[in-house]
Amino acid sequence: MYKIVKKESLNPTVSKMVIEAPLIAKKAEPGQFIIFRAKEDSERVPLTISDFDREAGTVTIIYQIVGGATMELDTLKEGESLHDFVGPLGVPTHTEGLKKVAVIGGGVGSAIAYPVTKKLHKMGAEVHAIVGFRNKDLVILEDEFKNASDKFVMMTDDGSYGEKGLVTDALEKLINEGNDYDEVIAIGPLIMMKFVCLTTKKYDIKTVVSMNPIMIDGTGMCGGCRLTVGGETKFACVDGPDFDGHLVDFDEAMHRGTMYKDFETKAREASCNLLKGANA
Amino acid sequence: MAERNMSMEKCPMPVQDPDVRNKNFDEVALGYTYEMAVNEARRCLNCKNKPCTSACPVQIDIPAFIERVANEDIEGAYEVLSKQTSLPAVCGRVCPQENQCEGKCVRGIKGEAVGIGRLERFVADYHREHCTEAPVKPESNGHKVAVIGAGPSGLTVAGDLAKMGYEVTIYEALHLAGGVLVYGIPEFRLPKSIVQKEIDNLKAIGVDVQTNMVIGRILTIDELFEMGNEAVFVGSGAGLPRFMNIPGESLKGVYSANEFLTRINLMKAYKEDSKTPIQHAKKVAVVGGGNVAMDAARSAKRLGAEEVYIVYRRGMEELPARKEEVEHAEEEGIIFKTLNNPLEILGDEDGMVCGMKCIEMELGEPDESGRRRPVAKEGSEFVLDVDSVIMAIGTSPNPLIRSTTPGLETNNRGCLITKDENGQTTREGVYAGGDAVTGAATVILAMGAGKAAAKSIDEYIKSKN
Repeated sequence: MYKIVKKESLNPTVSKMVIEAPLIAKKAEPGQFIIFRAKEDSERVPLTISDFDREAGTVTIIYQIVGGATMELDTLKEGESLHDFVGPLGVPTHTEGLKKVAVIGGGVGSAIAYPVTKKLHKMGAEVHAIVGFRNKDLVILEDEFKNASDKFVMMTDDGSYGEKGLVTDALEKLINEGNDYDEVIAIGPLIMMKFVCLTTKKYDIKTVVSMNPIMIDGTGMCGGCRLTVGGETKFACVDGPDFDGHLVDFDEAMHRGTMYKDFETKAREASCNLLKGANA
Repeated sequence: MAERNMSMEKCPMPVQDPDVRNKNFDEVALGYTYEMAVNEARRCLNCKNKPCTSACPVQIDIPAFIERVANEDIEGAYEVLSKQTSLPAVCGRVCPQENQCEGKCVRGIKGEAVGIGRLERFVADYHREHCTEAPVKPESNGHKVAVIGAGPSGLTVAGDLAKMGYEVTIYEALHLAGGVLVYGIPEFRLPKSIVQKEIDNLKAIGVDVQTNMVIGRILTIDELFEMGNEAVFVGSGAGLPRFMNIPGESLKGVYSANEFLTRINLMKAYKEDSKTPIQHAKKVAVVGGGNVAMDAARSAKRLGAEEVYIVYRRGMEELPARKEEVEHAEEEGIIFKTLNNPLEILGDEDGMVCGMKCIEMELGEPDESGRRRPVAKEGSEFVLDVDSVIMAIGTSPNPLIRSTTPGLETNNRGCLITKDENGQTTREGVYAGGDAVTGAATVILAMGAGKAAAKSIDEYIKSKN
C-alpha cells in the first residue's frame, strides 16, 4: 500500500498527490512514469511522474479527472493509500549535452513537462518554457515554471490569461526572434504534439515528444502501447515514452487511443452515478 | 493392499458440457471424486524401476503417492508430492503428462496410462479442501536469497530454498504473484483461487513476496547483492510478445495474446463489472497453433464471439498445442483454418479491424528444425471476415534485466546463458531458469529448472560459508 501524504486540487479537474514510495523516489528521473491502481479491483493506469523528493521518499503525480480510473483515484483522501504503485518505468528523458531547449507543455501535460524543465534549468541549459491551457481556470504550475525557466510564455486558447493563441504560435514567434534551439521537448495532447512537430519540421529542429498510449502492464509484456516510429513498431512503455516526434505516426496513435471510448464513457457515467448516490 | 484395477482405460474425468462451458469461464475439467481417484490409483502396478518418475521433470515419486491414494491415505499421498513439488494443484492440471510421466507409464503399452496428472490434482485439491493445519515455517539458516519473478520457476526456487531454511524474497513486477499462471493460463483451465492458495502456502513457510517491483528499474541485481542476498535467481520468463510485421498490426482490434489474456485473466475483463475493458468481437482470428493460441481462441469464444478461427501456417498434425487442448477447442466450436498464413490486416476508416488477408499454404521439404516448411500457394489469397485479430506467434525474454546487469551474457535470441543444467549464469552468484533461459516453454520445465537451480544455489552458498 502506498500512502497519500498530501493531496491538493490544482484546478476544478486537476489534482496533485504526493505519494510515499521511497524506492521509486530514489530512482525516478524526469520522463519516467508509474502505473497505479487505486483499489484492489481497479484498472492499471499509467501516469508520468511530475516530481520526486529522494530525501522525503515521495513521488508526485498530477492527474486530470477524465474517466472511471482517475475519478476513482480522486475519491482517495490524504492519509489513505493507493493499492498499487509501480515504477519508475520507461526510459528517462535524454538531457545530456543540451544547451538551449524549448519545453512545451499543453494542459495537464505541463505537469510532465515540469520535471524536465527543472532538470535542464539545474544543469545550466537555457530553457524557454511555453505552456498552453484552454482558459485561465485551468492554469497549473505557473510559479514552478517561472522559477525553472529563463523565458516563460503562458498561452490560453481564449486569451483569458497570458497571450491568446496556441503553443505553436508562441514557439514560431520565438524561433523567428532568432532563438536557435538544440531541441524542442513537447508534452501534451496528441494533437498538440503533432502540430508542434509539424512546426519544428519546417525549421529542422529536433523534437522529442512524450507519448501516452493505452497501457496494461507497463513492463513490455503485452504490446498494448505499441506505436509506429520511423516505420518500426515500438513499445512506449520500454522503448519510450519519449520518441523523436518527427518519426511518430500520430494519426495511428490517435486512432489507437480511442479503442475503448465507449467503455470509458460508460465507466465515467457509472462512477458519476455512484458518486451521486454516495452524496445523496 | 487393496485389489488392483486391471481396466485398460483410464477412469474418465467429468467435464462441463462443451456447449455450456464455451459460455463461461469456470473450470472445464471437474476433477475426480474420491471413489474415482481411489479406483484409478488401483490401476498403478507400483513398478520397481518407476519409468514415470524418471520422466517427471521434478522427479515426483509417482508410484509412492499413488499407492497411498489406493490405500485411501490422501494426506500421506500429499506428503509424498510435497517433497518434490510446491505446486501440485497446478501441475496436475497444466502439465503435458502425455509427453512426460504418463508417456512412460507401463500400463500405457497395452492400454491407457494411469491418470497420474488427474491423481496429482485430486490429492492437491483434497488437501486444500480438507487440511486445516497451517504449513510449518522451517527454522532460518540465516542466509538470504533473492528471486526475480514469481512465475513457476521462481516459485519453485523459493519453495525449495525456504524448506531448506533460507530467507527468500521474491520480487514480482505485476501486482499479483504467479506469472503466466495468473496472467496467461485462463481460469477455465487453472482457477486463479488455486494459484493463490499455492502462493499462500509459500508465504506460510516464510517466503516474502514483494509485488510491484520491476527489477532493473526500481532495484538492480547489484543492489540485491548489496542488500545482503548471497545469490540471486532470475526467473523473469519470456514475456515480450512477437508480432508478424505485416501491414495493419497497429489497427484497433489487434491484440498480442499476452495483452488479450492479461486483460481477461489478471484484470478479470470478462466479468460484467470489470473496470478493465476488452473488445467483445463477433469474429476473431487467432494467429498461431500453440497452447497460448488455444487459450486465446477459447477465451474469445467465451466473451461471446460467434466465430473464432485458429489461423496456422502448417497442418493439424503439426499444431504445437497439446492434443487435449486442441480437442477441447474443437468441441467448443473453434474453427481451424490450418495451412493458412496472414498477409495483411485490413482496417476501416475508423482504424478498426475489418478483415484479414490470408494466403493458403502447402507443406514442402523439411527445414532445419525437421518440420516440413510451409510454402505459399500462388494466387490463393482470400479475405477472412473478422473484426479482431490476436497474435499468438510466440514471445521472447524481456531485455530489462540483461540490459541493467553487467556481466550477464545472453545468446542471439536474448535468452540468458547458463553454464550447465544447474542454472549458473555467466555472473557469479546469479542463477537463472525457466523461459528466461530457454525461451517460451512449459510450466513444468520451468519448475524443473527452478528445482535444479535451488539445489545448486544451496551448494554454492554452503561452499562459500
